[in-house]
Amino acid sequence: MPTKNKKVAIIVSILLIAGSLGYLAFGNFGENIVYFVTPSEVKAFTPEAYAKKVRVGGMVVKGSLETQPDPVGLTFELTDGAATIPVAFQGIPPDLFKEGQGAVVEGQWKDGHTFRSTMIMAKHSEDYMPMELKRAGVELPKKDFMKTLSP
Amino acid sequence: MTGFYARWAIMVGGIILLAMMTFQQYQRDLSTISLATVLNSPTTSEHVRIQGMVKSGTLTGAIEEGQATFELIDGPTTLPVEYAGPPLENIRELKTMVLIGHLHHETKTFKAEDTALINNFGFVAAAYLVTVITLCWAMFAMSQRVMVLFKEIKDEKLYEPEHEPLANKE
Amino acid sequence: MLNRFIRWIQRYKGWFGGGAVICISLGLYTGLFASPPDYYQGELVRIMYVHVPLAHTSTLAYSVLFFGSIWYLWKRDPLVDNACQASAGICALFTALALITGSIWAKPTWNTWWTWDPRLVSFSVLLLILGGYLMLRKLVDDRERSGRYAAILAIVGGIDLPIIKFSVEWWRTLHQPMSFSTRGVAISDDILLPLTLMSLGAWLLFAYMVMVRTQVLYLTDLLNAKKGRLFSQTHFSQTSL
Repeated sequence: MPTKNKKVAIIVSILLIAGSLGYLAFGNFGENIVYFVTPSEVKAFTPEAYAKKVRVGGMVVKGSLETQPDPVGLTFELTDGAATIPVAFQGIPPDLFKEGQGAVVEGQWKDGHTFRSTMIMAKHSEDYMPMELKRAGVELPKKDFMKTLSP
Repeated sequence: MTGFYARWAIMVGGIILLAMMTFQQYQRDLSTISLATVLNSPTTSEHVRIQGMVKSGTLTGAIEEGQATFELIDGPTTLPVEYAGPPLENIRELKTMVLIGHLHHETKTFKAEDTALINNFGFVAAAYLVTVITLCWAMFAMSQRVMVLFKEIKDEKLYEPEHEPLANKE
Repeated sequence: MLNRFIRWIQRYKGWFGGGAVICISLGLYTGLFASPPDYYQGELVRIMYVHVPLAHTSTLAYSVLFFGSIWYLWKRDPLVDNACQASAGICALFTALALITGSIWAKPTWNTWWTWDPRLVSFSVLLLILGGYLMLRKLVDDRERSGRYAAILAIVGGIDLPIIKFSVEWWRTLHQPMSFSTRGVAISDDILLPLTLMSLGAWLLFAYMVMVRTQVLYLTDLLNAKKGRLFSQTHFSQTSL
């Protein structure tokens, strides 16, 4: 390899490393990293934030899920323990989406009272066991779901 | 050198055998048939596994106690299902599920006794194959390189201490 | 006369490789045949048996690189430098595989191939750091300088390790929290067995691969030195171990 190209390559590699380390140190990867907001924070949105595309995470409230056949879609409520917001989604949700489990939805808090979601992601917990144990009522020590929503 | 390639041939053979065994067992125990096939089948008492999506607005019954009726859809085909079995842990509307049971021919309803989650073979197989093939290839390439290097060093007569810059001062 | 440590590797590496093959064979058998599906994910839980061992072996590999780099800066032993470079290469391979298998697991469970989750981002940063490390090794011709720069980079990059480990506990993530923690073990015995076997296999495999790769790097250096192609020959006249 010619010396000049090599120098350029070295500089590129150093920039790559410095960039990724800098992102770790000074990017939004510090104390204030937010992958999703909680229903409480959504409720506190000002009207300027209504059009913004955000991710909201919470637990799907048991008994709140209703599906519509035409057009195919569903509505449900998402809670973080303190506040609950209604969510509307058009399409077929992922198979692991379930009442009483976590979900992260992408969309807009459009008109200030319903969250219009364009994508649902199912969050599963860290416990793994066969169906027989689940039916026998075994509970494995896992992190309390509401605690996974804080800070 | 022959030993090296023989070892690798045995290993690759073992991996292919395991993959074939896995495929066969899953094909036998976990594969599903389509709703249309079940509806057109002549026999009644045969136990089959079918896969379809629970239609929106049709799920009724005491799910916690293991009693439910609903409609299953798979493309254009719809099939009414009566479920009686263990408590339904995972069912909801708009979810694709596997049902185990048989078709009641007079009423054209499916009597289900158990459920299972869809098997997703493609994803599982992809994850295993990517890992196994990459690691085997990397290991084979490295081991072969070591063998070649040792041979080259022998040819270069690097074992002679006076020519050896890395001689150990033991 | 080869270096004593290289000869030791040549004699004993087979034990590690053989152990890895045995553990992984048993792990594959229990993982694919003799373990039940999960109550919530079904058969997909089997992806965990490859993803989780790959992921934590790659953090183990980076730890080896981290402490090896400190050792190199302290003792300046070229063999330690070779071992560090070997560890970085294997670590990059494991990290890339962990990301790929994670992505394959995420699609049917989370419903996305990729998302900007703290765990996923911090883990990808590890791959970037390793990519930079390996490029630096390739591009700086002077052996001593290349080793020194790379060691410093590996030590600085070490801050990513605790970030990866605790990202699922400190921040809001889509990724599930740790299954092994002070809370206890959240995995039932049937599923824990293949996971343990595969983890053990992955550690042994990593040890074996690092040994072989160290041999490759050392022997290549040796040949280059013999043929007078080494850029910093004085550096190579000192050995230890």
